[in-house]
Amino acid sequence: MYSAILLAGGKGTRMQKSVPKQYLLLAGKPVIIHSLERLDELDEISEIVVVCEREYTATITQLLTQYNIAKEVVFALAGQTRQESVYNGLKKAKNSMVIIHEAARPFATINDFKRLIAANSENALLGYSIPYTVVEGDKKLDGILDRSKLINVQLPQKFSKSELLQAHEKAFREGCKFTEDASLLFYYEKSNIEIVEGSNYNIKLTEALDMLIGEIIYKEYIARRR
Amino acid sequence: MRTCVITGASSGIGRASAIMLSQTREYDNYALIGRNIKGLEETAQNMASDINVYIINADLSTPENLPHIVDEIAEKYGTIDCLLNIAGYTEPASIFSTTYENIQATYTINCFSPFILMRECAKYMKKKGGKILNIASTAGMSPRPGWVSYASSKAAMISISQTLTEELAEYGIKVYCISPGRCATNLRKKLAPDEDPSTIMQPEDVARIICNLIGEGGNCIDGQNIVVRQKIK
Repeated sequence: MYSAILLAGGKGTRMQKSVPKQYLLLAGKPVIIHSLERLDELDEISEIVVVCEREYTATITQLLTQYNIAKEVVFALAGQTRQESVYNGLKKAKNSMVIIHEAARPFATINDFKRLIAANSENALLGYSIPYTVVEGDKKLDGILDRSKLINVQLPQKFSKSELLQAHEKAFREGCKFTEDASLLFYYEKSNIEIVEGSNYNIKLTEALDMLIGEIIYKEYIARRR
Repeated sequence: MRTCVITGASSGIGRASAIMLSQTREYDNYALIGRNIKGLEETAQNMASDINVYIINADLSTPENLPHIVDEIAEKYGTIDCLLNIAGYTEPASIFSTTYENIQATYTINCFSPFILMRECAKYMKKKGGKILNIASTAGMSPRPGWVSYASSKAAMISISQTLTEELAEYGIKVYCISPGRCATNLRKKLAPDEDPSTIMQPEDVARIICNLIGEGGNCIDGQNIVVRQKIK
């Protein structure tokens, strides 16, 4: 059994809205509900740890009732950084295996979660090829990266909780910051992390334009799937 | 075991649909919601004998209890797979004679209670899919002087159905909307008291269409207002 850790602590600054993006409406329902409904459907997940700001726990609790989310949901407090939020979520999780997902990625499908869970390795991530050219540099080009060797790291990801917690504690002691957990685990534990093919529909809602693109993805990719 | 919830089954289109649908064996359990218990019992007696029928005494003019009733049905049968919102109400009057109580009662029975039932039943259909069918009316599509509360409430039902078709598609829940024309029901008698009911469409004609939609077929025509009326002679 897995504990799902759903990261919902973002403030949505880049979205330039008064409400964080995970509570904006996408296809008529709050962004966070898209992920909660998928997690609720998965038999392999026994609990959902929602990591959010304290002020939003009442809002989420109300949404859970309105949308008839049956699975056990517990809350962990969002940290100052994404890394701290994951750490807080890990400490709340009861199961030895965790799936980390973020509320700002509402288009991960049941099939994506199932393929991730079915991966042979204990630790795995969804990844997708990079279709555009990536170079190094700031004001001037410093180097060329071979995109055939690069992967766009997506969520959800799955981990052994004890391995990931251990890596987080090392990162905390050393004051090292990572933007996601597969990199953190690989850096400290050199763990075998499997890459499961993701999808270019599984976008992260970051900027205002993403909400417009999201409406199209929902209509063509999610609503028509049945 | 599959469960179907029906309102308005004590007479007319609701009764004909309940009887006809029970004979298809599409559903094992039927919950008939209404306040005319005698009428519902008569309907149940005419339904197939090898199905379960649960009669619930409830007044659709007071929707506050409906969430509890839906929970009760789901608890009893373990599932809700289909909802037929068939009950209707009308009190035809001109604009100057239409009271607030009239329009409120009409909207409550024709729109608000069906909406609450859709919302609550959809909570149970979300994981496995389901079917919802709402009865609107051709009155909701064209102006009828003297029918302002009824006609506008049916127009609202057409819109509610179309909106929820989109919103519930993700869960595999199909929403159908039927707009019958003149049909020999008690409600029609209030709208056209001098009309000979034997000259117009019968409830069984509409029930046949409902069974087609709710049964195996009809899956691709959700989300549109399906007009059911006799051809113009």
